[in-house]
Amino acid sequence: MKKLSILIFVLALGCGVEEVTPTTPVDDNFMTGMATKINMGVIMGVNHTVSGTATIYEQDGKYTLVLDPFQSQNGPDLKVYLSKDIGAKTFIRLGVLKSTTGKQSYALPANINLSEYPYAHIWCEAFSVEFARAMLN
Amino acid sequence: MKKVLILLISLVPFLSWSQIKYGDVTGAVGHREGSLSAMYTYAWQLGAKKKFEIGIAGRFTTYLGQNQYYITAPAKLTSGSTGPLVIFKENIAANIDTFLIQSPQVNALNIAIHLGYQVSNKISVGFNIDALGFSFGSKKSGSYINGVFGQQEQAKPTAFNALLISDNDLGSLNSELFLKYQLKDNWGIKSGLQFLFTEYTTDTEVQQTPEPNSRFRDKSLLFAFGLYKNF
Repeated sequence: MKKLSILIFVLALGCGVEEVTPTTPVDDNFMTGMATKINMGVIMGVNHTVSGTATIYEQDGKYTLVLDPFQSQNGPDLKVYLSKDIGAKTFIRLGVLKSTTGKQSYALPANINLSEYPYAHIWCEAFSVEFARAMLN
Repeated sequence: MKKVLILLISLVPFLSWSQIKYGDVTGAVGHREGSLSAMYTYAWQLGAKKKFEIGIAGRFTTYLGQNQYYITAPAKLTSGSTGPLVIFKENIAANIDTFLIQSPQVNALNIAIHLGYQVSNKISVGFNIDALGFSFGSKKSGSYINGVFGQQEQAKPTAFNALLISDNDLGSLNSELFLKYQLKDNWGIKSGLQFLFTEYTTDTEVQQTPEPNSRFRDKSLLFAFGLYKNF
């Protein structure tokens, strides 16, 4: 019974097509010189090879998270999160990671209380695996 | 009176029946998901040529998935009402949130309804659907997603299963539309489509708008293949 279940599971997995993040370098046209830096943190890989800096800017009353520089190991269904806690139990999804490399910006929701969300994460949503995090100070 | 007599006489062929019992084992696969089910059916063959079948069955289904997106289950939220006409109503997208489970695994034991028709000596078609039962399985972690906001939470398979109408259904229910081909005297193969509902209940009511909710459902369309044996 168990072997049959495993067989079905493997067959089902075989039907899946993994979505991977584009590897073409991006360069979002976010003018950091025109914005106010609110906080920032160094991106540290969590069991994955990821590096860079995450910075939150304010411009015209709107907040934006900018990853620059940024370099990440590829993976399926990678998302950018802000979270209230280190394990991302409560989080905000900023969007799909645009590329594994290059400067990229993500708009934050309006009326967000930044002091409640001190962590940025690169998160594989489908498999619930954290790729990297930065503590924003 | 004459008309009634004619009607009764014309019904006589349909009032004769014989009994048939068989069991089957079916595997079904879909996108990152699959199921294995075992079913025992007790049916009555009706009609002059015994071509029609109606019966009841007991079915055990075990479901395995990977990264499955469960959605808000209660009809009151998905359709805005709970009446029998809910089947004709459009889903209210604004009320439907998601609960992503990395490795859902649900076991369900249900009483099912069976309908069949003997096309030829070797070929028959049929439909069955779970009606009542219970589910069990271990607690799983998942991510509740409401737009840009998310929260990790634990959930267990909804314990009680009941076939109602459309999204009024409760719990985990399996159904199949199948074709059977008899290979030997007492056994053969079956193939078809399996439509499987599985449902999880989160530890807390993670969904708060438009009203609190903890039930999330996955509707899986799977390709099924199995073996059956007549007893």
